[in-house]
Amino acid sequence: MGQKITINPLTRISGFLEIQVEVEKNQIIDAKSSGMLFRGFEKMLKGRPPMDAIYFTQRICGICSTAHSMASTLALEDILNITPHGNDKMIRDFMHGCEFIQNHLRHFYLYTLPDYVRGPEIQPLYSTTHSDYRLSLNLNNELSKHYIESIEYSRSAHQMLAVLGGKAPHNHGIFVGGVSVNIDSSKLIKMKSILNSIKEFVINRMIPDVFIISEHYQDYFGNGEGYRDLMSYGVFDAYSDQSLFYIAPQVLINGQKQELNPDKITENIYRAWYEANKVEQRPIDPTIDENVYKEEAYSWIKAPRYEGYPMEVGPLARMYLSGEYTRGFSTMDRTIARVLEVKKIIEIMESLLERVSLQPTPQGRFEFPQKAYGKGLIDTSRGSLGHWVAIENQGIQNYGIITPSTWNLSPGDSRGLKGVVEKALIGTRIEDIKNPVEIGRIVRSFDPCVSCATHVFGDGYSPFEIRIV
Amino acid sequence: MNKRSTNCPVLASKDMTAKKMIDITIKEVKNSPHNKTNLIWLEATGCSGNILSLLNAENPDVIYLLKEIVTLKYNNSLMAAEGEAAFQQFLDTLETDFILVVEGAIATKNNGLYNIIANYNGKRITAMEAVQMAGERAKYIVAVGTCASYGGISAAKPNPSGSVSVGQFLGKEVIRVPGCPSHPDWALGTIASIVAFGKPILDAKNRPIIFYGITIHDRCPRRSFFDKGIFSTKLGDRECMFKLGCRGPVTSTDCPIRQWNGYVNWPIGDNTPCIGCAQERFPDGMEPFVRY
Repeated sequence: MGQKITINPLTRISGFLEIQVEVEKNQIIDAKSSGMLFRGFEKMLKGRPPMDAIYFTQRICGICSTAHSMASTLALEDILNITPHGNDKMIRDFMHGCEFIQNHLRHFYLYTLPDYVRGPEIQPLYSTTHSDYRLSLNLNNELSKHYIESIEYSRSAHQMLAVLGGKAPHNHGIFVGGVSVNIDSSKLIKMKSILNSIKEFVINRMIPDVFIISEHYQDYFGNGEGYRDLMSYGVFDAYSDQSLFYIAPQVLINGQKQELNPDKITENIYRAWYEANKVEQRPIDPTIDENVYKEEAYSWIKAPRYEGYPMEVGPLARMYLSGEYTRGFSTMDRTIARVLEVKKIIEIMESLLERVSLQPTPQGRFEFPQKAYGKGLIDTSRGSLGHWVAIENQGIQNYGIITPSTWNLSPGDSRGLKGVVEKALIGTRIEDIKNPVEIGRIVRSFDPCVSCATHVFGDGYSPFEIRIV
Repeated sequence: MNKRSTNCPVLASKDMTAKKMIDITIKEVKNSPHNKTNLIWLEATGCSGNILSLLNAENPDVIYLLKEIVTLKYNNSLMAAEGEAAFQQFLDTLETDFILVVEGAIATKNNGLYNIIANYNGKRITAMEAVQMAGERAKYIVAVGTCASYGGISAAKPNPSGSVSVGQFLGKEVIRVPGCPSHPDWALGTIASIVAFGKPILDAKNRPIIFYGITIHDRCPRRSFFDKGIFSTKLGDRECMFKLGCRGPVTSTDCPIRQWNGYVNWPIGDNTPCIGCAQERFPDGMEPFVRY
């Protein structure tokens, strides 16, 4: 019987996460990841006007609300059979890019950095729970200054989003049919100017900073590995022009690349606080109820699986699958991939700006059919996000959401397969059992967003026909 | 300037900006022999979008707030500490003079088990318990965002988590700074105002009057279109969006003159209707958000 360690709150993430590990002879032999918030968005969405889902679902998450507006809009456009005008689509993708920058900057500097660098002498950034800081005083002070500098640049990423989308978080501009903004030269030049200043910060500060950290924490190339099975729903993939292209939908299982088939996605509720007569939920199944007293359960997060496999999603999955970063799958690789992805996204955004023309948005008036269903799958800052919508009598009959953090932070399933973060923790060597700093570092490398992961999902959207092979 | 009529609320609010208020606060803090006031910013049942919005603050920014105005003792998103040691900082602060900010509603179903924020001495602490503990001792309680202020999205029908507002849960006076999210100037300005002057002047719904005194409709740059009966028929149009379901007439914030994210834009400026996100009945009473 090993010693149990519980970390709750696991701070510097979005939302509420508890990590429990069992340690024997300084090695983690078991791990449990528990999402600690339930609001029930899919129940709330029932009966609401379909169009409202775009603004409503953004409230799932404060740090990645744009992601939900993208997935929701795509699902509704799927129902309405609409393809936005090319110019609008480019502006929309640019807005989505703003969120990647905002999120990755905040995650790296505000959430990750304090794990490795002693923060600026301001509370509550300075009081820490461990002392494993390895940078020289000079380097430490330099990076801690960059923590403060970074606030300006993540803020200005949100400012770009607001110029095009009204405000951030929770923008208004991403909408069915494209966007609501009428782009003009002053807006365009503002984008170029802000993006340019962010790019300089990323190249001159952020990228060198992550390599300084990785040099001093080489051992973190040796832990946090996970399953090595990766997935992406694709993002910036609708363009033939290479300078605008990032990644097409795909999975990597046991080292084999395959095309993504969304019909292979299921959710297992064995270890989650929900009750249903089937432990394996298909998208066609009806909404299920929660049961906070369920014996075998330990999380509000369900366990999504692809063909039965837990899949890692996020920047490392994308960068690896697209061939942009293939060094490895560790804690440090995941952190480096996220930082390098910012540069990749900025370059795509620059190319988008080159191609955007100054024309007003051709918005329309949209009416929903009596009965229909649609889905919107897209890769977002933290990974693969899916919205599935069924409509009846022109209202939402069912709304299902599987977020990136649901994939990464899932609990175990009924077949005994651990979630991705749990798997990444098991086997890790803990140097000082009283200050298990390794746990937070590994978990944060996944950029958990528990607000997203525990909004609840898994509900049905009836018109699907799926054959289990 | 001196000829301005003093009974016009628009002019009064223009004269007292958040920036000006914060300048005065900093002076007050510097002149005070006491230490800075402690602040607990507790995230409860919501999306943590208000602390994110606070990070978008500029002049003053969040670092300025932490250095010059308050000592932030506990916040899940920003604090370096984690686990029990982090929650210990929360508990220690309860023994001091502090301001409590809550964002997110309070999930009450199954005794609060729908939102657990810490594990202390082997016991799970719900957001409900934490707000109760801190709410009893706080010098001032500020509900930031619409969920904390009124229940908001977290309490949307059929309210699966049994979420209620902070004021309703505690049954005592809570200063409301609604908005989904709250504008960083509203949150920061209210905190600064408390530090420098004590409780700000509130309206009947306990909102600081300087930010929430006038409806969006009254100061909307598209008001002349409304008065002439010229209306937009779809998003992207430049006229009044009343007929698209704009909630500006029933929503009181200074969005039209303040604007968002470095004061560059706002929903109506983006050719979309106001959805009343800072108002009491958001979202259930504000839908459909867009109507053709």
